[in-house]
Amino acid sequence: MIQLDNVTVRFRIPHERIPTFQEYAIRWLKRGIRYTDFHALNDISFSIDQGETVGIIGPNGAGKSTLLKVIARVIRPTLGRVRLRGRVAPLLELGAGFDYEMTGRENVFLNGAVLGFSRKDMTQRLDRIVEFSGIGDFIDAPVRTYSSGMVARLGFAVATDVRPEVLIIDEVLAVGDADFQQKSAARIREFRESGSTILVVSHSPTSIKALCNRALWLEHGMIRQMGPVDAIVDQYAPGQPSQ
Amino acid sequence: MTMLEYDSAQRSPPFVDEFVQLLRYRDLVFLMAGNILKNRYKRSLLGIFWMLLNPLLQTIVLAVAFGALFKSTLPHYPVYLLSGLLAWSFMTQTTQYTMGVMATGSGLLKRIYIPRATYVVAVVGNGLVNFLISILPLALIVLVLQHPVSLSWLFLPVSILILAVFTLGLALLLSTASVFFNDSIDIYQIVVQAGFFLTPIMYPPSVLPEALSGWLVLNPFFLMIELFRTPIYASAIPDLGLIAAAAVLAFATLLAGWTVFTRQADQLAYRL
Repeated sequence: MIQLDNVTVRFRIPHERIPTFQEYAIRWLKRGIRYTDFHALNDISFSIDQGETVGIIGPNGAGKSTLLKVIARVIRPTLGRVRLRGRVAPLLELGAGFDYEMTGRENVFLNGAVLGFSRKDMTQRLDRIVEFSGIGDFIDAPVRTYSSGMVARLGFAVATDVRPEVLIIDEVLAVGDADFQQKSAARIREFRESGSTILVVSHSPTSIKALCNRALWLEHGMIRQMGPVDAIVDQYAPGQPSQ
Repeated sequence: MTMLEYDSAQRSPPFVDEFVQLLRYRDLVFLMAGNILKNRYKRSLLGIFWMLLNPLLQTIVLAVAFGALFKSTLPHYPVYLLSGLLAWSFMTQTTQYTMGVMATGSGLLKRIYIPRATYVVAVVGNGLVNFLISILPLALIVLVLQHPVSLSWLFLPVSILILAVFTLGLALLLSTASVFFNDSIDIYQIVVQAGFFLTPIMYPPSVLPEALSGWLVLNPFFLMIELFRTPIYASAIPDLGLIAAAAVLAFATLLAGWTVFTRQADQLAYRL
């Protein structure tokens, strides 16, 4: 269960960008600093039940990524309340959380630690992760020698080795080659069937429809509409063929 | 795994929460500290030996240049020089490194929750390990020059602990500043450069004109360096007054650093 009550995320943007201490001091002495408030999320409330798969859609800058960050604890809401139960696992963009000079094996431990797992945990799960990723003998080579597909596969394998209660997918569905895409899609389906809650941000109406049962349409940091996926997506992107 | 509950409205104060989280993620801190070390020497031929060689070479160069100058006031000049230099480098290099590390880590800090202090603590931990290892070449010089070794060396763990606490506090303060103001990195660099010459590292405090030496007690780096150097060079335990002053300063700095850092931590994801 994920519940948001009146969540607002406010960024304070100085009228002119003040990147240095020197300028800050000058401005401050002169007349104080004026800010503009920008509401990335504006008074958002909704709740998602366990096991639901929700697609988040909306134009660029609507607040989709901010919403995911609030749920993943990366950003704390300025106002309002976020509640959820269980472990949240974000699927990271390509290479985030990797140290390219280190070997694949060392990176499995690093990635695992970033996700909050202990070294002991990771030792037990290493073989399973390596097998799923299909990296093979390359696991002991530095990650800088990997292709981007291999990095993505390893990242996916670590992030999804243990079923999270909440899985967050931000435009990273297409990972690796066709074979691996099938494998990863199967794993996400398996999570859904086992009761994981899944949040997906994507600009592709087709993949949102294929994966989700509900959709949340954001615009200017506010909820435009929320409801069954087909109805919402068709309104958001009319003319797109439905499946 | 136990069911974790997250409620943004119910959180212990950041001052406490950050510490609890850091304990939970301790394996990450250790891994990162180790990776910094590995990365630094991975692709070099002499590998870890650089860590031992570097201070030796530095000492030789400076001792050749200035040794004659302080021959009468500072016997076994290389011991005096290196013990001061090691303490100075530990404090300044580590803090300079942490100022850049928030930017390096921003990719991760913006995407996934990890304790925000992870990078800072890992860098200071790595600096501490380097510092400990570099005591080996210092011991080598002490042996070669037949500088007297006394039981006062047993005081060194206390000195090192106080230095590490001070460095961590300073690193937290400076890394917070670096996120908010780009030029704080440049300003600090100038401070460090000037500090190297204003602090008695290469020369004895007695060289300073009287007008300046009175101000020396206000130089926190000098306090810390003396704390580390006295047991080695003077074969004596530092003054009780000096120990007390350094300890109070170190823990006050850590308290201030931790308070400022954890209060601003929520802002970091917005700012980075």
